[in-house]
Formats: sequence, C-alpha cells, structure tokens
Amino acid sequence: MVELVPNLLRQEMARLAEQDARIDGRGQFEGREISLETDCLYNAEGSAKVTMGKTVVYAGVKFEIRTPWPDRPSEGSLMCGAELRPVAHRKYEPGPPSPESIELGRVVDRGIRESGCIDMNSLCIIPGEKVWGVMIDIHVLSDGGNIFDACGLAAIAALRTAVVPAERFDVGDDYTLSVNGTPIMASFTRVGGRYVYDPCEEEELGGDERIHITIGDEGHLHSLQKGLRGVFTPQEFAEIFEVAQTKCAELRKIVAKKEAN
Amino acid sequence: MGGYGDVQLLRDDGLRLDGRKLDESRPVTIQAGILPAADGSAMVTHGLNVAVAAVYGPMEAHPRKIQRQDRAVIDVRYNMAPFSTSDRIRPGFNRRSREISKVTAEALESVVLVERFPRSKIRVEIEILAAEAGTRCAGITAASVALADAGIPMRDMIVGVASGKIEDTVVLDLDKAEDNYGQADLPAGILPNTGEIAFLQMDGDLSPEEFDLAMEYNFKAAKEIHEIMVDALKARYEGGDN
Amino acid sequence: MSQGRSGAEQRLVTPGMAIGSLSGMRVGSGAVTHNGEIIATKLGWVREFNGTISVDPISSPYLPRSGDLVIGTVAEVRNNLWFMNINGSFQGLLPMSLAPWKVEFGQARQHMNVGDSALARVQEVDECHNVVLTMKGVGLRRLSQGAVVEVPVNHLDRIRGANNANLDRMKDVSDCRIIVGENGRVWVDGDDMGIAWAREALEIAKEHGHKEGFDSMMKQHEKKLAKKGDA
Repeated sequence: MVELVPNLLRQEMARLAEQDARIDGRGQFEGREISLETDCLYNAEGSAKVTMGKTVVYAGVKFEIRTPWPDRPSEGSLMCGAELRPVAHRKYEPGPPSPESIELGRVVDRGIRESGCIDMNSLCIIPGEKVWGVMIDIHVLSDGGNIFDACGLAAIAALRTAVVPAERFDVGDDYTLSVNGTPIMASFTRVGGRYVYDPCEEEELGGDERIHITIGDEGHLHSLQKGLRGVFTPQEFAEIFEVAQTKCAELRKIVAKKEAN
Repeated sequence: MGGYGDVQLLRDDGLRLDGRKLDESRPVTIQAGILPAADGSAMVTHGLNVAVAAVYGPMEAHPRKIQRQDRAVIDVRYNMAPFSTSDRIRPGFNRRSREISKVTAEALESVVLVERFPRSKIRVEIEILAAEAGTRCAGITAASVALADAGIPMRDMIVGVASGKIEDTVVLDLDKAEDNYGQADLPAGILPNTGEIAFLQMDGDLSPEEFDLAMEYNFKAAKEIHEIMVDALKARYEGGDN
Repeated sequence: MSQGRSGAEQRLVTPGMAIGSLSGMRVGSGAVTHNGEIIATKLGWVREFNGTISVDPISSPYLPRSGDLVIGTVAEVRNNLWFMNINGSFQGLLPMSLAPWKVEFGQARQHMNVGDSALARVQEVDECHNVVLTMKGVGLRRLSQGAVVEVPVNHLDRIRGANNANLDRMKDVSDCRIIVGENGRVWVDGDDMGIAWAREALEIAKEHGHKEGFDSMMKQHEKKLAKKGDA
C-alpha cells in the first residue's frame, strides 16, 4: 500500500531543516536509543532482538547440512533474508515477498558476507560431501523507521552468538561459530533537503531518498545502497560517510558490551 | 499423535518428565502493547513458546469480495518464523498455517462485536517466534489481548489452552515430547467469563470420560491464564511507566 | 471521557468482565448485556452516571459521527469531488457542492490536491458507514500552514481539559493556534519553537494522558519553554 504523504508534513520537514531541527527533537546525526538482547529465542541457534525507538526487529540463525558446490568443495554458505510481513505496519500487505523486503535482506546480506567475517572454509565438515549452510532470518515486528540499521544490527549480533548444532546433526560436538568482525550499517535519509541519521517513521514518510552504508572493523566499506527517488552529490556522501564511521564504531561497542556480559 | 508405547513420558513418582503434575500448565507470561506501530499488540510466552500478535483496524475491507455488508471480517494470519522450530521453515503460507488462521479468525469473530463495523476488516497478525507445542493456543491468547489493547469491542476474551493424553493418562498442556509421543491433543479456545467454547480441535484417541477430564483441565487452565491476561492489560495502564 | 474517573469509582476492567446487574441500571457505551448482567466490551474505566453504567475505553478507533469537526488529508481527486483520509475505517467524500469555493466541473484539483489537508465537518454518516464531509461553515478551510499531530481519540478530552482549560493553557504558553479534530488530529500553527513545544505537550498527553500525574508533567513541560524563552 502506498502511504499518503501530507503536504503539511513535507513543509514542516523543510522548515525544521532550515532551523537545524528534527521533528522528534534530535540533532541531525543523533540516533535513537538502542536496546539489544541476544540469545532470546529458543530453537534458534543464535538470536537477537533490537529495539530502536518504535522499531522492533528479531533475527534468528539456523544451520543445515548441504552438499558443497562442485567448484568449491570445501566452502559452506551464508544466506541472509528479511521478511516485511503485515505484522510490522499498516502499510505492509500480505502476499509474496515485496521488492522492499528482498532489497532489505540483500543489503544486510552483502554487508555481512563481503566483510569476510565468516570464513566459508570454516563451514566445511567433509570436503566435497558435507558443509554447513548458515541462514540468518530477519523478522521485522514493528516498523517505526530505519529498519535497515535495526536489521543489520540484529543479524550480526545473532550471528556472533550462534552455536553450531553439530550434535543434533551427528557430526561432532556443538561449538561456537567463529565470526571475525562486526560489520555495522548506518542509514541516512534526505529530510527537508538535508541528510539525517537514523530517520524515524515521520521522517521517512515526509522525506526522500536514503543511503545505507555498511562498515567493517577496519573502517572499510562493505556494502552501499542508495534507495528511493532522489539524487545526491559527492560532497554530501563524503559528509555522511564520515558520520557513518563514528556511528558504526559506537554500535560495534554496543555489540561488544553485550557479548562481554 | 504417534502413540509410541516405548517412550516413557511419566516418571515412576507419577510426575511428568519436566516435573509437572498432571494438571499443571507450563509457566505463562503476557505483555500488552509491545509493538508501537500496531493499533494493539501482545506477546505471550507459554513454556518455551513465544507468540506475538498485532492488530490493525478496523479498516475498509479489501479486496471488495471479502467485504460483508452487515459486519466486519477478521483477517487472521498465523505464521511461524523461519527460526521458530528446530528445522528451519521456508517462509510463506502452508496448509497448516492456513487452517489455523481460518479457525482462529472464526473463533475471534465469535467474540468481537463485528456487527459494529460493516464492510470493514480487522487485521490480526500472529507471529510465532519460538515453537514448543501449543503455538496455536498461545497465538489465540495473544490475539485476544492485542484486540483488547486496540480497543476493539468484545463480549469476552478467548483463552487458548490444551490438554491431551500420554501413557493412557490425561494431562494438561502437552510439551514438545508429550505432543510428539502422546496419544491425543485437545486444544480449545475458552471464553473465561461465560464458559463458552469458541475454538476446538482434537486429534488422537480419547474416551468420552477422558474427553470430560481433559476439558475440565482446560477450563481450569483458562481461568488461570485469564488472570494473567487481565493483569497484563491492567499493567499497561495502571501505574508504572508502561 | 477520562474526566469521569476522577470520581470515587476508578475500576479498570477488561472485555467480558461483569460490571453490574441490569436491575435499575441502563447500559451505556463500552458495555453490553448478557444473561441479565452488564458486561464490559472494552479495556477501560467503569463509569456510573445518572443510572447509566458504561466503560470509558483506554484506546479506541475513530468512528465518525455527523457534526464532528475533523482534519482530513486529500487521498484522491475526481472531476467533481474529493476523497479524504479522516483517520477512520473509510475515506470521507467531499462533493463539489459542499466545498467552500465555486468549483467548475473538472477543476477540483486546482482548489485542493492530493496530500493537502483541510478542516471539515462530518455532514452525514449512513448505516453502511459512508461518510460525507462538508467544508461549508465558519472556519472550515484548507490548511496551508502549520503542523498536524496525531493523538489517540480517547485522549482528546484529557487534552482539552475541563472547559478547555488544558487546551487554552497550551495555546497561551506556545502562542500557537491549536484546533482539535474529533478524529484524533490536532492542527498547530505558530512559530517554530511554539509548534515544537506544543508537539511535545501533545506527545506527553498521548503517552500519559490517562495516568495520574499528567498535570504535574505538563507544568514541568511549561517551564521548559519559559527557560528557552529567557535564553
């Protein structure tokens, strides 16, 4: 369902931007409070729940044993998918996966995969015969804006707590999945003509295009995605890329702190 | 119901494998209003089951062909998250979830004052995040609390409960092992204030006497869980910051 | 609505709960009768007033009634009418003949386009819940500036306060024009600081309007604007 955008909301967004203000009182690059829970779902081999403002997202990790591709006999596989089911918002309708939910899953997938945090060779059980397939499923329960960052955070936090269920599949003892890195996503939406970090629901409704940046531990880019109608300049990107570095480092600390407890 | 005679489900002291008495339910917790984007919502944990429900509406019923001129329709989707079971479930609707959605919708239409909202639909989304036998009942309980949270008028709520039979003994609230190796399962949706039944399924083998005892257990459990539902709704608005 | 619970009775009930017997009592809103008993149909506060027992709901969808002042947003324009989203189950229909302008057939869009908001009144609701709107009347107009804030409809009385005391206070402090639509939309117009303050004040009402201590929270919030003003 296409949401109706009130003209008064767009006008207000422009006015607020002129005053360097946001509708919920935050600064231009100020994020909402984040709460992260891990190991919260029985039956998932790794799980996480992320709450950011009115956004609530779960991620769960499952494993399966599969035959490796013939050209890569000792490599396992990683797949990340997202579901934007009608539970998450009035605007989502039932039916086959929408382009929006496929985009969401693929952007999170690329960030994790390309960071190299999972060594595909470490997922090998018997070369040429048995390898682990790792699946991260993301479930958005409440869309209160910026589900991309919430999904990215939930996915990597769930993956980092995952335990390989080797006993259940009769291939040895259970062990903690080795994950070498914490790729983190930071998203920006153009609201009232300028980019803001971590847009809320009203800002997404009254805003324009968005940019998602996934950054690894070393500060390298691992995935980029520009979405929705609109254009931006290299100068604008340079500014938000710098902000993204700081934001991603902050979120990485939240994950580390959770793991230390 | 498998009815495998060689799996022991009752201990020598007469208690069940997890130490429960025959008429003892698994622990239940309920929270109302947990999903800010929804008009009403609830989360129910029942044993290791986790069920979440969101309510949207009433809104104009679309597509037109589902519209009723004299009342609202309740559009239920029961869905199990891919990570909710020990083997991953492929996303999408299957026959089981379609059937559960249908009977759940019909149960809820029996208590919601649907005639107040002609040509409308009320969307009820039930998501199972973790499954350990009894998800449909946890889903119905969550849906009832979410409907009340959304301010949808109802003449009563519905409590989802189940009893069953293991080793020729009637017990309340089957867990996963009991469900897999037991002889019967009798899930019911009970109206706690009127004592009426809005939802009933059964599979396996029960004598008339066993059925009576199983329903007696169900009514007892409904009373207990109803108190938790009421507390959850009140907790959201009485004192506290939530 | 929620004003009623400042009396002696402050009982919170859930759907299905018996709240009184039929003998000598009339059944008000939020309740039905069953086997001679009065049963609550909503989560809310029980109220007995003039021999009528009812439940003031804690949350409620907007059900349009004729005469309601509402804030709508145009969702669709035809040659001779507008469909407006009024936060209800169904869109409201504003025919050309009930618009405040002289409209030529086919020119409706030039007066009000998709996304525009307007102050309108509910002219009629038929038994199938079709809603006809009118913009003929004092003050009914297109809203070309200001902000629209959504609040739960059952908190509107709390936002207004007794004799509009809360609302008048908000207008005074924020120096804004504030119009409350029965459909849970509040229009606020003034300077940026005033709008921001009023938006937060409405947010406080939205989250805490049903709780004790709301008034003191508002007093606290008023000080904030005073401080900003001094700076």
